Amino acid sequence: MWAFLGSDVMFFGAFIATYLVYRGRSLNGPYPSEILNIPVTSVSTFVLLMSSLAMVLGLHYVKEGQKNKGTLWILAVVLLGMVFIGFQMVEFSEFVNEGLTPRTNIFGTTFFILTGIHGAHVTIGVLWMAFLAYGSHKGTLRPDNALDLEIAGLYWHFVDIVWIVIFTVIYLISATDGPPPGAELLHG
Amino acid sequence: MANLWHRLTHYEGNGWWNLPRSASAEANPPHEGPIGGAWLSNIFRTLTHGGVSHAGPGFYWLVGLMLAIITLLEVWLFAVEGLGAWYVPLLLGLSALKFVGVVAFFMHLRFDNRFFTYVFVASMLIGIGIFSALLLLMEYAHQVP
Repeated sequence: MWAFLGSDVMFFGAFIATYLVYRGRSLNGPYPSEILNIPVTSVSTFVLLMSSLAMVLGLHYVKEGQKNKGTLWILAVVLLGMVFIGFQMVEFSEFVNEGLTPRTNIFGTTFFILTGIHGAHVTIGVLWMAFLAYGSHKGTLRPDNALDLEIAGLYWHFVDIVWIVIFTVIYLISATDGPPPGAELLHG
Repeated sequence: MANLWHRLTHYEGNGWWNLPRSASAEANPPHEGPIGGAWLSNIFRTLTHGGVSHAGPGFYWLVGLMLAIITLLEVWLFAVEGLGAWYVPLLLGLSALKFVGVVAFFMHLRFDNRFFTYVFVASMLIGIGIFSALLLLMEYAHQVP
């Protein structure tokens, strides 16, 4: 799993670098300063961070042989992951309503690809965790094979740390980005 | 030479460069204090059960609380005006703190064989190096008339 995560670092790194290369080069709006909603995204970031906490607690209790507590915390991961995806779906639909799609400008293209791929990772993680929660409930996930959950947990935490970077770079640092110098000349 | 090759490629010894044979064979680094200071090391050792296996729920709650506080701090910094050139470095520093917190404690790198730390950190360094070079190249390309 660590080798896979190493390769996934490169994968996300490429998209983050692409975003940074094209940052502030959109010639038409909507621009990040007009559309990003920092308070809402802060809440979804908090939700994802707490899902990591739930994950590590779930692993602890499964390893301790406390089946019910383990199942409950894994279910909490599933729930928090679904809440995060819900936030992302609402955000995407709001952006589309305000005129930002992947084809609108270079910000839209790089933003939707990066956050969309991250969302896909979260979705896969939610399905994986739901499967493991079912296994824990049925008793097939036990302390002696808790490594299955630990590996899934590594994936989940990795998705969390990628979001930590995305939240800082795309949302907090780019939130004031407007049109590049000279863009107004293109639109008269 | 044969001995060195054997040490690097076989499980025996469970040293830094060898993958652990099983979870129970992991090295569990004995040095516990992430920051200097005996009193801090003692607190850390207590909270993490001396680095044996993984930490307890109390410690994870503490890490979760710290991560939440750092996130709040980031959002507060976003709302504060007049930080100027400090804004981006401050945010990147706080983000790095969160990153290390999750990787070291939630992903258990702190408690695992150091081989995993090397794999992950090496990937990070290679990635950051490549993408920094790409960014510099693109910045230069945009400046050339």
